[in-house]
This record gives sequence, structure tokens and C-alpha cells, in this order.
Amino acid sequence: MVIEYKTKTALVIDDYPNMRSAFRTALAAFGLTKVDMAATAAEALGRVKNTRYDIIISDYNLGESRDGQQLLEEMRHLGLIGLETAYLMVTAESLYEKVVAAAELAPDDYLIKPFNADIMRSRLDGILAKKEAFAQTYRHFDRGEMEAALAGCDELMKSQPKYLVDAMRFKGEVLVAMGRFDEASALYNEIVRLRAVPWARLGLARTLHLRNKSGEAEVMLEDLVSQYPELIPGHDLLADVQIAQEKYQQAQMSLQRGVSTSGKSILRQRRLGEVAYHNGDLNTAESAFDATVQKGKYSIFLAPNDFANLSRVYLDQGETADAMRVIQDNRKLLQESDDGKLVASVMMGLAHSRSGNAAEAQRHMNDALKMKQLGASGKPELLLDMAEGCLQAGLADAAAALVGEVARNAHDSEQLLAKAKRIYHDAGKPDEAQEVIRQATEQVVRLSKEGALLAQRGDLVSATKQLFQAAKESPRNPRVLMNAAWVAMRLVEQDPVQSPYLAQVRLLLDDAAYLAPDHPRLGGLQTKLRSVEAALGIKSAAPRKRMGQMNGR
Amino acid sequence: MEDNDLYAALLHEMKNNLVLLAMTLDNIPHCGQEPHDAPLDAARLLAQRTSERLMQSLLLYKNSQGGVVLNAVDAYSTEDFIHELALHARSLKASLKVTGLVDADVPAIWFFDRNMLEMAMINAVHNSISYAREQIEILASLRDGMLAISVRDDSDGYPAHILEAVAMDRPLQSNGTGLGLRFARLIARAHQNEGRIGELRLYNDNGAVFEIRVP
Repeated sequence: MVIEYKTKTALVIDDYPNMRSAFRTALAAFGLTKVDMAATAAEALGRVKNTRYDIIISDYNLGESRDGQQLLEEMRHLGLIGLETAYLMVTAESLYEKVVAAAELAPDDYLIKPFNADIMRSRLDGILAKKEAFAQTYRHFDRGEMEAALAGCDELMKSQPKYLVDAMRFKGEVLVAMGRFDEASALYNEIVRLRAVPWARLGLARTLHLRNKSGEAEVMLEDLVSQYPELIPGHDLLADVQIAQEKYQQAQMSLQRGVSTSGKSILRQRRLGEVAYHNGDLNTAESAFDATVQKGKYSIFLAPNDFANLSRVYLDQGETADAMRVIQDNRKLLQESDDGKLVASVMMGLAHSRSGNAAEAQRHMNDALKMKQLGASGKPELLLDMAEGCLQAGLADAAAALVGEVARNAHDSEQLLAKAKRIYHDAGKPDEAQEVIRQATEQVVRLSKEGALLAQRGDLVSATKQLFQAAKESPRNPRVLMNAAWVAMRLVEQDPVQSPYLAQVRLLLDDAAYLAPDHPRLGGLQTKLRSVEAALGIKSAAPRKRMGQMNGR
Repeated sequence: MEDNDLYAALLHEMKNNLVLLAMTLDNIPHCGQEPHDAPLDAARLLAQRTSERLMQSLLLYKNSQGGVVLNAVDAYSTEDFIHELALHARSLKASLKVTGLVDADVPAIWFFDRNMLEMAMINAVHNSISYAREQIEILASLRDGMLAISVRDDSDGYPAHILEAVAMDRPLQSNGTGLGLRFARLIARAHQNEGRIGELRLYNDNGAVFEIRVP
């Protein structure tokens, strides 16, 4: 296939001016007329926000805290580039496998230095020809037309032997997005039988994990990362499956191995901090949360809650001054958003409270309550910190409301409930916690049970009503939201007159996707919504992308 | 700056400069006149060979226990691979006739480490460019159930001592052709599948034939 370069647009990202102009010259020789340049990741982000490029060529080493892989992840996260954009990563490392990411985050190909114009041309030719072959299938996938995307993969597998493995790989992604994990497992198994390439083994382990076979997945991943210690997503997934089995110590070790290979990702550092904190390993939590904040300066993934995490570790270590310093040093950044202001007030208040400065503590807690009323939201841990501060400041009702809110949305989290109990215990009111939690969760627990029972009996109308009420009570509990969505869809299937419910189902699933983007039930429910809508001739909007919710998880 | 950082930074700059050198040379057009084109081709080839040796030495330096570890085996198009090698050969010596061929029974895709195999094959292409009279043929075929990628030229062929050293698995001399062959043998053998190990084969057949078989 001859690739037509004249009409294509390209962006070159390299911190080395001579290299940029060499790329420009080479691209011009291929026939491109529109080639833009960026020297830094920030500049590149600015460019892709305004222009859609056919080709992006990025150096891996960008001479700042952010590398080419992280830049690619941020662009995908922000939805700035789609599957149709050709992304070529240039690296001086022959150890480029270090940067091999999960399929959805991988560049289309690598160009290893040193290279010349011919090699660069062949790589681009290869990527662009593949993009052309997959164009229709990618379009279906982007629009959420999963059945059509699946059919597209099957067609490519049949008609284009050259792309057999590529099409199988993409089909695996589509099946996972649809929640059809069994079929995805079978497909990955088929690829592994062709050749046990790392990405296929990773895909297989991922689908096993999604099918609640975490033990099996763990064995497979241990084997994989011992063979390829630099396969970072292997360590990440291993931590996932270990957490699913409540093996938190092992999960921490897996994340530590991942961080020691590649410590730049703030998502991985944050995750390590969370798991270490859960394990009571405050030193590791401190260094991981500190790294999150430091490296986050260059990342869109940094969230106000990262400062709360670090500040909280200092408080637990008895380092009140450090806890305050984290907030004060980053005051400007935190004041930019309501959620940030909430974090600042809560952590400052709690620090004053712990150091016995009651008046200051109360002032900050009142600020926090005001922010909360204005609509600021925080992670459950932060709300419990806030509850502690309120309780210590004599704001018992506010504290109870906060603990209640957390309990309603996480009535299944042992860890959060234990923290709530400790707060009351420390305030000298050990008996009150149980009562506050009981009162707060009574309603949602009852509604959920009744709803499930009604659905079992086939009374889907009443079941939907009960479960929607439960979802209203626990708007941040993904399980409750998904249960309500599931029963409502069954009702609409049974009785199309009830189709107005579908609008609410969409909102429930969007919220669930925001709260728990990796939940194994999510893809299946989103796919079901589309098929229910299709059966009724309703035009569906594209579902929110999995990647779209990483921030502030 | 730590010594290690300095080492890495020096290497990084050297690689960048080699890319720039190669791309600068690529940008000088041929003008159809021997006194201009011949040294240009020679300079291009030399820039390539320098890059090649740098890559090879770094690769071995990293794997101090010896041998080459393949970390990027994946499915690649056999046709694209041959096409890329042929394109590369053509660009380095315009006066040579270069053919790239894929036998009909070769599968559309094969599993191998593209960058490694490419490094070994390009080395062979460079050798042939230096010795070939008029033409080079780059071929993908199936041999004994393995994918065989070969470079065949119309030169006088390999000297007997090299053929013997490769056939008898004896050490190869540490300069020029021998150096590249040692490296190619490492890469060929690093390719393994279902108990079979890749091979480097050299022979003369109206010219020199360099062949790597990948299981």
C-alpha cells in the first residue's frame, strides 16, 4: 500500500532543537506540508488541544519530569487523541520494553535510536497502513458500537492475515470493554497458544481477574514478571489481583517493584502510598505520597486529595508541623478548586486539633463545613478526617452527618467503618459510632434488600422504585448504583413503556463509571444499556471512556 | 553530576548526534554524478555502520552475563520486514539492483524480535553492499519449519575460513565481517520456540548468502 503523506498533519515533540528540525526535514521529504513542533510536554498538550494530528512523533526522553509515555497517557486520558492518530515513540533505549504499556496506552510503534530516514519512513508506513485497515473498526469502538467493532475485528482476522494478531488483540480489548470476559479469556488463550507473548499473557491474567479468578491470575502474573521484570503493567495488575484477595503486604511489594522500575507515574506512586498506608507502613506511605506530590507538579493526574494523603501520614506520625507545611506550601494550588479548599481546611483543622489548638481547629472546621455545603466533595477518608475534627471541636451533629454520609456510601468497607469507630472512640464516645452508622445505613440496607427480593419475585416495577431510592441514599456507592441500573434495564426490556427510566440508568452508570472505572460489572451493564436502547430504536450516546476517570480515584 | 549520569548523558548525546548525522546525509540528494554520489553513498553507509556497532556494543554491555535477551518478540508482517530491508539497501547504494522477495508459502506473520533481527540483517545488507557487483536479493522463505531470512549477493563469496568458523561453530575473528557475524549468531540463537533454536547459516552460491533461521 502506498501511503499518501501530502494531506497528513504531524506533530513532532522533542526537547532537542536539532532533532526537531531533522524530523521536520525528513517529514517534508515524505511529502508532508503541515508539521508542528513542540519542545516540551506542556507545549505538546497545548498543540493537541487545538489541532487534530494524523501523526505524532515523540521522543521518550523529554528532559523534564514527564516522559513521552506519560505524555501519551495524559493525551489519551484527556481524550485529545484517538485510536486514529498514529503515535510513534522515539527512544534512545534499546530497553524500550521498559516503556511498553497496556495495549490501550501503548504507542503504535517504537523507533530506536540511532535510526535514519528510511527506517522512520517504514515505521510510519506500517502504522498508517494499519490505521487505514482498522479505521472503520476504530470508529465503531469510539462510538460505543461494540457489536460492529467486534464484527470488524472478525472481518480483519479473516481477510487480512497480516493483521491477524493485531485484530485479535483489539478484539480482546473490545470484549473486555463489553464485559464479555469469558470470551476474552478464550481469545487470549488462543493467542498464547500461537506464541506466549507478554501482552497476551497479561490480557489473559486480566480477564481471569475480572472473572474473579484472582488466584489463577496471580500465579500467572508472578511467572510473567519473574520472566520480564521490566513489564510494569504486570506489577500493577499483580497488585490488583493481590488486593482482590486481601493480600495487602504482597500487593505493596508488587507496587514497590513497579515503582523501582519506573517511579515517574504518579498513579502508581499514589497507589503504593494507599496500600502502604492500609498496611500501616507509614514510612513507605510517606515517601510514596511525597513522590506523588513532587512528580505530580508536571502531571494532570495530581488531585487535591494527594495533599490530604501526605498530610494525613504526617499527622499519624505525630509530625504536625509537617502536616501543616504540606498544605501551606501548596496553598495556592489548593485554593484553585472547591475540593482543594476543602482539603486545606480539613487538614489544617485536624492538625490544629491534634496539637491542642482548639480555637484554630474550630475555625478551620467551620470553613470546611461551609465548603462542603457549597458543594465541595472529598474522598471518604477526608470526610472522616473532617468528622474527627468536628467531633473534637464539639460539632457533634456535623460529625454524625459526615460519618453517616461515608457509611451510606461505603456500608461494605470494613476499613472505613473501623476508622469511623476509632474517631468516636478517641473522642471518648465509643458507643455512639455504632448507632450513627446503624441509623445512617438502615435505610439503604433495607431498600437494597427489599429491592433485591422484589426483583427475585418478578415485581420489577416496585423493585426499580426501591433500588432507585437506595441509589439516591447512597449516590457514591457504585454497587448500589449498578444494582439499580440492572433492575431498571430488565424492567424496560420487559415493558418498553418504562423506557423513560433509561435516561436515569445512563446517569447511574456514568456515576458508577466515575466511582469505580475498573469494576468488572461495568462494561457488561454499559453494553446492555446500548443493546436495550438499540432494541427500542433509541440513539445512544458514547459511554464514558474507562480512561476518563482516573483522576481523583 | 554522578559518573553514571555522565556516562548516560554522553551516550544519549552520541546517539542523538548519530541520528542527526544519518538524517543530514539522507537529506543530501544524489546528483547522478559519480564523484558526488559515490562518496555520499560511502558516507551514508559509514554512518549506518557506526550506529550499528554502537548499538551492538551497548546491547552486549547491558547483558554482561553474555548472550542477548529478547524482550520484544511479537507478531510482525514478513512482507513488511523484507520490504523494509530492501528499501534500506536501495537507499544506501543507488547503483545496485536490489530485490526483495517473499516465497508464497511464507506465512503473513511470524513471531520475532523485529529490532534485534533487523539489526542482524541490516549488518548483512551492509556487508553485501560493500562486496556485491551488481545485485542483492533479500528473501523470506520457509526452511525446515523455520522462517529463513537471507541476503544473497553476486560477490566472490565468503572466504573459506569464515564459512568454516560459522559451520563448525568456532570463534569468529574480532574485526570487520567477523564482528558482525558474531553478533548475528547471538541474535539468531536468542530466538527460541518450542524447543527449537534459531540458526545463522553462511554459504556461497554464485555469491555470498547470509541466512538467519527463526523458529
